[in-house]
Amino acid sequence: MKVERLGGKAFSYIEFDLGPGEGVRTEPGAMASMDSGIDVMASFNGGVFTAILMFLFGKESFFINTFKNLSQKPQKLVVSKSSPGEIIEHKLNGETLFLQPGAFVAGSAGIKYKLSWAGISSWLAREGLFRIRCYGTGTVWYGAYGAVVEREVNGEYIVDSGHLLSYGDEMSYKIKMSGGIFSSFFGGEGLVLKMQGKGTIRLQTRSVGGLAGWLNPRFPRSGGKLSNLLDVFGSN
Amino acid sequence: MQFDFIHKPCNTAVKVILQAGETCTAEAGSMIAMDSHLDVETSTYKRGKRGLLKSLKRMFAGESFFLNHYTANAESELWLSTPHPGDMTKVDLQGDKLIVQSGSFVACDEGIDIDTGWQGFKALLSGESFFWLSLSGSGQAILNSFGAIYEVDVDGEYIVDTGHIVAFDEGLSFSLSKAGSSWIQSWLGGEGIICKFKGKGKLYCQSHNLTAFGRSLTPHLAPKVRN
Repeated sequence: MKVERLGGKAFSYIEFDLGPGEGVRTEPGAMASMDSGIDVMASFNGGVFTAILMFLFGKESFFINTFKNLSQKPQKLVVSKSSPGEIIEHKLNGETLFLQPGAFVAGSAGIKYKLSWAGISSWLAREGLFRIRCYGTGTVWYGAYGAVVEREVNGEYIVDSGHLLSYGDEMSYKIKMSGGIFSSFFGGEGLVLKMQGKGTIRLQTRSVGGLAGWLNPRFPRSGGKLSNLLDVFGSN
Repeated sequence: MQFDFIHKPCNTAVKVILQAGETCTAEAGSMIAMDSHLDVETSTYKRGKRGLLKSLKRMFAGESFFLNHYTANAESELWLSTPHPGDMTKVDLQGDKLIVQSGSFVACDEGIDIDTGWQGFKALLSGESFFWLSLSGSGQAILNSFGAIYEVDVDGEYIVDTGHIVAFDEGLSFSLSKAGSSWIQSWLGGEGIICKFKGKGKLYCQSHNLTAFGRSLTPHLAPKVRN
């Protein structure tokens, strides 16, 4: 399998050159185009309990796609994310990697995935109710809206909600307010994640929720001038 | 006429260098800067020609009603760009025809004729526009996209997800189909309906999908207040 990341950091996309019988797994909807000798199979991701919870509360799909070259010739597959940004390559050698929902793009055959419950506090911080646990041996591709920033953590580190992409097995996070009550509400940061442990975390420089928060007060509304004005003050 | 791109593939703009007597036709609103001695003329069709019907059809194809024609008296430059981040590419036509997805047209030289084509009802289901532009003649044209543009030489069959088509040669045709061998798998896997191209020719795709990005943004947008 030959893999090429193209499109620069702003519009990263991946071109997989699949030999006969080779396959790759992707996030649902990630395929942009492909040769016609490739078949797609959707499979269930995670246990029944997770599936029920996801059906009730989750916005993410609980399926994962397997693309397999069923022909005798090499076939090409192009995948990307819905948001423009950087896609990075992460090799796993038996260790575990946690991905935030929406970050996952693709993984090679040796990688296993499990959607797992991330907890109510994660949901409160707008990080989603679920996270993806990747483990095994192979390569995972995941990406950002914006660029990816890497940071070594030893002890504690604060990350704004909506900006976390991935973290290792020996790390966990708690939700907390960014400062006191006043600065949390008026400082524009709200809830943040307090990362704890030792390992590497990856962040995205932008967040889709942040873009919407910036756009919202700029849309014309029928609510009158005063409410427009209040919106502008209420945003960051 | 010479076209030079800068800041590909994200913040792409194109510098058009015109020699005396040359005319560049561009989508209304795409000019960001130009030499002051360029002559600008706005019409609904070709320079000095009107075509109300062609213009109306072009509106249906998601393009603007008017086209701007920039004519040079001496060597001059013209900068064109798009409102959203994206890539651009140049296509050379030699008497052949290119079908262009709505909204992807930026500019062309005098040798290109712009018309609006019909891809049938399947075009609606494919998440693309009802009408498509068709560029014909001999000359150069500039297309834009959301995401990076990549070219595929199709010989036989090729599959493109809806929302990722930029343009294709007339020698290709597409039908709506499923990704892989099963409709159920295609739906469950979030691919749904895809476009299956057949024939021989060049296909231009965009790496990202504006509708998909819109879908991920929508839940975060505040509902409009109605009172």
